[in-house]
Amino acid sequence: MADVRYYDIRSVRGETTQIDIDNGVVESAGTSFFDKAVVRVLGPKGWGILTRDHVDIDSKRELDGLVAAAARLAAVTKDDISLADAPRGALAVPPLGEDPRDVDLEEKTRLLAGIEAAARAPEVVNTRARYTEGIDAVRFLDSGGNEYSYEAVRSGFSVLAVASRGGVMQMGSERDHIITGFNLRNKQDLGRKAGEVAVSLLDAKLAKGGARRAVLDPELAGVFTHEAVGHASEGDLVREGASVLGGRIGERIGCEGLVIVDDPSLPEFGFIPVDAEGVAVRRTEIIQDGVLAAYLHNRETLAAVGNGIGGHARAEHGAPPIVRMSNTFIENGDAAYDELLAECRDGILLIGSRGGQVDPGRGVFQFNAEYGYLIEGGETTDMVRDVSLSGEILSTLHNIALIGNDRKMSPGYCGKGGQSVPVSDGAPHLLLEGAVIGGRGE
Amino acid sequence: MNGEDLIERILREGGKQADEVEVFYARGASISAEIKKGILGTAEESEAWSMAVRTVRDGRIGFSSTGDPDRWRECLDAALASGRLATPQQWGGFPRPAGMAGTASSSDPRLVVAVEDAAGMVDDLLAGAAEHPVEVVGGSADLARSYLTVANTSGVLYGMDRTAAAVSLETIREQSTGYEFDASPFRADIDARSVGERAAALAARSLGGLEVETGRYDVVLSPVAAASILGQVLFPALSGRNVKAGRSFLADKVGEQVFDETLSVYDDPFAPGLGSTAWDAEGVPTRRLVFVEQGVLRRFAYDLKTGYRYGEGSTGSAVRSGGEPPGIGVHNLFVDGPRIKEPGDERAVWIHDVVGAHTANPFSGDFSVEIANPFWIEGGDLVEPIRTAMFAGNVFEMLRAIGGFGNDARRVGRLTIPSIRLNNQQIIGK
Repeated sequence: MADVRYYDIRSVRGETTQIDIDNGVVESAGTSFFDKAVVRVLGPKGWGILTRDHVDIDSKRELDGLVAAAARLAAVTKDDISLADAPRGALAVPPLGEDPRDVDLEEKTRLLAGIEAAARAPEVVNTRARYTEGIDAVRFLDSGGNEYSYEAVRSGFSVLAVASRGGVMQMGSERDHIITGFNLRNKQDLGRKAGEVAVSLLDAKLAKGGARRAVLDPELAGVFTHEAVGHASEGDLVREGASVLGGRIGERIGCEGLVIVDDPSLPEFGFIPVDAEGVAVRRTEIIQDGVLAAYLHNRETLAAVGNGIGGHARAEHGAPPIVRMSNTFIENGDAAYDELLAECRDGILLIGSRGGQVDPGRGVFQFNAEYGYLIEGGETTDMVRDVSLSGEILSTLHNIALIGNDRKMSPGYCGKGGQSVPVSDGAPHLLLEGAVIGGRGE
Repeated sequence: MNGEDLIERILREGGKQADEVEVFYARGASISAEIKKGILGTAEESEAWSMAVRTVRDGRIGFSSTGDPDRWRECLDAALASGRLATPQQWGGFPRPAGMAGTASSSDPRLVVAVEDAAGMVDDLLAGAAEHPVEVVGGSADLARSYLTVANTSGVLYGMDRTAAAVSLETIREQSTGYEFDASPFRADIDARSVGERAAALAARSLGGLEVETGRYDVVLSPVAAASILGQVLFPALSGRNVKAGRSFLADKVGEQVFDETLSVYDDPFAPGLGSTAWDAEGVPTRRLVFVEQGVLRRFAYDLKTGYRYGEGSTGSAVRSGGEPPGIGVHNLFVDGPRIKEPGDERAVWIHDVVGAHTANPFSGDFSVEIANPFWIEGGDLVEPIRTAMFAGNVFEMLRAIGGFGNDARRVGRLTIPSIRLNNQQIIGK
């Protein structure tokens, strides 16, 4: 096959277990099965990609047929793509504490029901909890003879409480997902917290929109890191001219002392032992001391753009690998939480995340807090709700006035190009100057 | 074993251990030609196969699915095991074969899933974009064909074809971006050149936007912005499951004037569209459902499970995605009203799209989002670009007073919606 410069195949066979409990009713509890494979061929120009269910990766004949079919697809492409060399090797997957497969579905359901029940408080009208467990058996091989296989186990849950009074409805939600074993034991506290937040928000005020000082908690500051910096540093967006961070390596884009990292090798929820192209994973410092230092890359974008390392290719099962974040965070500074509040004096404390979104080309991002408190005279006072924050990537990092010393990581899922992958983000508490708060209070 | 034989076998085997069994089987093929930096960079072809099984025994519903035909028995066992844990509920059985109220319009016999056609659509997108001085960042052309079957032990065995053609293009000029897209079951509906031209025009024309002061303004939401904000809040509020669970703001308001008297919201499963179908994901015949009629809330959507549980009856509103169990949804939802006055005649802030609509609070309806490609509109024309701003409000409140609907209704996913004028809204400048 003269017109095949490279091929790889990645198959993920596994099981997903989900339990859904809604107002005490077990709506569903069960396991489903999947077996997906993606074959990629780099032809004379660009990629031809095939996705199939249930491929026998060990059958030379089947593989040859798929590679030939992908090569025919590649023939219509026009882009001149090349692949950079990158170090190979796979890390050991962190050991499991309690293997979720050793716990039967009935016990999982009972434990989840306990978390859901804990969310019921007076004025809570609805509680819902969902358990998600994924067991993925991943196999990778490429035309260069590289071959890896590993197993990924994920276990976690989310719990939601809705409180209602006099036509006002508010929600509280908590979640926890891990890669190191079964994760439903002794978690009623999170259910309780979801219920308490929902009820407290019934009395919260609407936040007033406008620019002011804001303190972000570690979870929200993590989402800020992910949306404001992480996506714009992805090598595919840089290559396509879709990121405001393109061409700015070596430029100061943030305050002194600011270090922003993506590290797929950390044993957090975004951990991968080897990336989806068989490249070794390691820490990338995107921003060092306020200066843009590196982009996140796969082999293709590393060759096209440079400045950074490979090992950031990830894929949902049944989808081709693209450049993604894994565990993204701001390193600790040295300010204590009380110092941040005192320095803020008058502003707003924002807590938790309902998600965010970014337009990396325009350099504008938005994300939403679960709730917040006004800060008056360095003290937190009234609770506020439905408050979001927006900003511009190139100016906002200069507006970080203080970096806390209490970094915490939070697990979640990130969507890009129609694919969802597990990630974690985190940061210490941050103090932002001139944050644009979107709220509809007058 | 082919799909039909396997369905027959699962129904037979499962029927020995459960009162009832249902199989939902889907197979499909799709082609995607992807643009990277203005050039066709990747061609992708997918074939997918999935089978979902539900079992019912003594009102306990079990579920499992598989993408691997060899694991069908494991899948059936997993469904039965899952049923043993589910809370038992009122259950009146899977549907029997019934007459359909209409015909689906979701398949184009002329649509061919061929890479050459997708590549041709890419050429058209790029030719359209070349009409303005912008860079093309990315985009794609997709063609898909699938076949869906639902079968149960009460004798239902329905099958249907679905097709989809879709294009999208993302452009940039300096720090001004533009994104446009279109999707339809019918290949001939897709004018890739026009989509490319509009994506490029957005980036080109949004350059050099003016600042806007924080304050109250009249706004016009384009169909895209309206669909993003309303979709996030209206879909869940109309779901019977959320209503009965106490999660819908609209619960207990049937018969009340909840929105502006010009506003109607209805699901038309027989209209041409990506969700068009004569039977829902559980084999229940679909029908036209009017949720909101001239501002008055009329009804909610139910599937079999929620319908039986609360004595409401299914409204034929079950939908599925991938190997998931069925849930309550809409097929082709229309937000509509009489065209009395052009929404953009008097000066207003026109909003093409929003960033962060998914962070809206689906229960309270509160949202605050970043706006994308905003312009001052006057006399129906976009006169000056606005740099950037946030838009905050409450979906349920803002739909109580509508300043007019445009003649520009378009399909955005499963929603068809015109541009909507809303007066006196909160805009937060920088």
